[in-house]
Amino acid sequence: MGDYLRAPMSRPRTLARMEAKPRVVAITGSAGFLGSNLVGSLEEDDRVGRVVAIDTVPTPTAGRKTRAYDVDLTQPTADARVAEIFAAEHVDTVAHLAFLAAPTHAAAWAHELESVGTMHVTVAARQAQVRKLLLWSHTWLYGAHPSNPNFLTEKHPLRASSREPFFADKIQAEEQARKLAQRAPGSVVTILRTAPILGPTVQNTVSHYLARRIVPTMMGFDPLVQLLHEVDAIAAFHLAVLRDVPGTFNIVGDGVLPLSTVIKLAGRIALPIPHPFAQTVAAIGWVAQLVEAPPAFLKYLRFLCVADGLKAREELGFIPTYTTREALLDFVSAQRLRDLKLLTESAA
Amino acid sequence: MKRKGKKKARSPAARSVPPPSSAGHPAAAPVDGPPSDEQDASERLVAAEGADVPQRARPRKRPARVAPPTADAVVTVPTLEVSAVERPSDPHVVARIRELEERLDRMIDEHARDRESSDQVAPAPTPSRPEIPRPPSSTRPPPVPEPEGVFDTARELLSTDFYLRKWGRLGLRNRSEEVDEFGYDPVYELKVLPLFDFLYEKYFRVEVHGVENVPRDGRCLLVANHSGTLPLDGMMLRLAVRREHPSHREVRWLAEDVIYHFPFLGSFTNRMGAVRACQENAERLLDHEALVAVFPEGLKGIGKLFRDRYRLQRFGRGGFVKLGLRTSTPVVPVAIVGGEETNPMLTRVEYLTRALGIPYLPVTPTFPLLGPVGLLPAPTKWKIFFGEPIDLASYGPESVEDEILVGRITEQVRGDIQQRLDQAVRDRRSIWFG
Repeated sequence: MGDYLRAPMSRPRTLARMEAKPRVVAITGSAGFLGSNLVGSLEEDDRVGRVVAIDTVPTPTAGRKTRAYDVDLTQPTADARVAEIFAAEHVDTVAHLAFLAAPTHAAAWAHELESVGTMHVTVAARQAQVRKLLLWSHTWLYGAHPSNPNFLTEKHPLRASSREPFFADKIQAEEQARKLAQRAPGSVVTILRTAPILGPTVQNTVSHYLARRIVPTMMGFDPLVQLLHEVDAIAAFHLAVLRDVPGTFNIVGDGVLPLSTVIKLAGRIALPIPHPFAQTVAAIGWVAQLVEAPPAFLKYLRFLCVADGLKAREELGFIPTYTTREALLDFVSAQRLRDLKLLTESAA
Repeated sequence: MKRKGKKKARSPAARSVPPPSSAGHPAAAPVDGPPSDEQDASERLVAAEGADVPQRARPRKRPARVAPPTADAVVTVPTLEVSAVERPSDPHVVARIRELEERLDRMIDEHARDRESSDQVAPAPTPSRPEIPRPPSSTRPPPVPEPEGVFDTARELLSTDFYLRKWGRLGLRNRSEEVDEFGYDPVYELKVLPLFDFLYEKYFRVEVHGVENVPRDGRCLLVANHSGTLPLDGMMLRLAVRREHPSHREVRWLAEDVIYHFPFLGSFTNRMGAVRACQENAERLLDHEALVAVFPEGLKGIGKLFRDRYRLQRFGRGGFVKLGLRTSTPVVPVAIVGGEETNPMLTRVEYLTRALGIPYLPVTPTFPLLGPVGLLPAPTKWKIFFGEPIDLASYGPESVEDEILVGRITEQVRGDIQQRLDQAVRDRRSIWFG
């Protein structure tokens, strides 16, 4: 993790309040990739007094400081239960990370978890007067459009296809978090929009896509791609737990690569599909469960969706340690071992 | 073998029992006596070789080599200090240890015999080479089954990502592994540059006037008329400044979004150094002190009919002036003559084209008639005129809000370019030779 985590806070007021007493951080979705790694990294941080892990599955990285609660956010009474936990543990900061890393066929369940689950968490946070809410979001929500500027800033509207539940649920979750910020004026709501996360251990849509031997692409389209290394993603959330910076931030790695270069560096074979047919092919593939993403993701193979990380650098102090290319090469070196069956691991 | 020796060292009681291994294979045991404890594998090997081929001149050497280790062994065994633990007083325990050791020895020998017999099958066709010393089976590493090994290697070579990675590298031979933040790929440009160099030098025979008006460094906006059904003017402008300008600056030109809807076109122009035209991109480029070319006519400029050639269309909504005011960038008007006759558009077909995602279908004397070949540009003579820079820094960034001022500057730039175009068109005697 970067040294900047240990650097003194930019604002002395924040520093004073933080050193007063170690904070209690609640993490929803603590068994997921981001959740479990954040629990592990907060365990080692003296500035965090206790970690409250909320998930239906035990957190693998839970240690001395962690208290685990088994809560299913899709249940209708989850909000009361979560509020109870927040109040009993005197939770100061909630990191809401209970989101899916890859689209699922169980769209109704995903909606309950992501959209309604976020509602439960925000309601509970407001009731228990939690000071700070951290939300995981995605730069994919900007949508891939030919009219996108090369670097999307946080002010840009979220134009991802609202017909695709994977994006729609996350957009709704962001709206609920913003609503909380309006209703509870003293609270700090930080939304971190991460670029597609890639690294040696993370499992998500992008890693599944690049794990294929033959990778489908759109014929004649070669958009620029931006990635975020998994270590940087965890560091960004750790940083956002420690620093009180309200607002929305793009958390991205430096540099961009054309999709074709990404595929070539990964040692894959690109299968160009003419885009007029691609929609149908992808729809059939998705229904038949042959491909890992629904047709709405095809736009990301055609058009640009790259975000500008300047605001996070200046206000949050987040500086990525890996560039897009380094994140990709780190993934490739691990994927090479997986290809040869020298490395096996369960999905995180 | 090492394990066997070690074990014996720990329990000298087993010494007295003749090891059954001597019955198993005639090689090692009877000649050397019980294997010495501290002998290392290589020495055993030498000793065994000697035993195996007594008819050679080896035996003379043998006692000298074998004796010292055995003597060593005798000396070193008590120093191991394990005998106190290993020599229990209880005869039951001693008997049990002996029994277990015999069992283990038997198992090892059986294993060795199995291997021996399988080995005997293999070397049978080649009995003519008896001089090759065979080390005792127990000292050899487990034999690698050969045919399987070959197949394994072959499978590995064929199925690993070795070739896929090679394939990837091969695919990247004409591309750089890293591009700049707008996707400009210098290696790719270098590869296609000969074509554009040919167009610049031989085909269009571009003539450049007043290129010294472009500042040597720092941000600058080049504002030019847009022309040609195929917009080659961006690339020609880029080449002109790179070749003729004293500091050989790189022009990044802003391209219409419409090309990004099409396959190949968008990614190609992007790699060549074009950037999608929008305020955010232009501001970012100018913040990096780049030299940016804009074509404010946009799509209307490309879609001009032949009879409207060199008549400037509306300059958008003055976006380039606002950009220049906001970023305090000087504006250099540029007139490009010759480009508007390369693909003389007679008419535009606009119905049914929306369904294909094309704004219009150009009709030139050659285009739909000769198929894609008809899109080749005509070899007209090109001239590029750079005007005096217009300084916008003096107005201050807050004057962006002043719509009247923005309109006035837009008209001033537009008039400057139009005047240069008119002058150049009036002065030229031939479309083809200038």
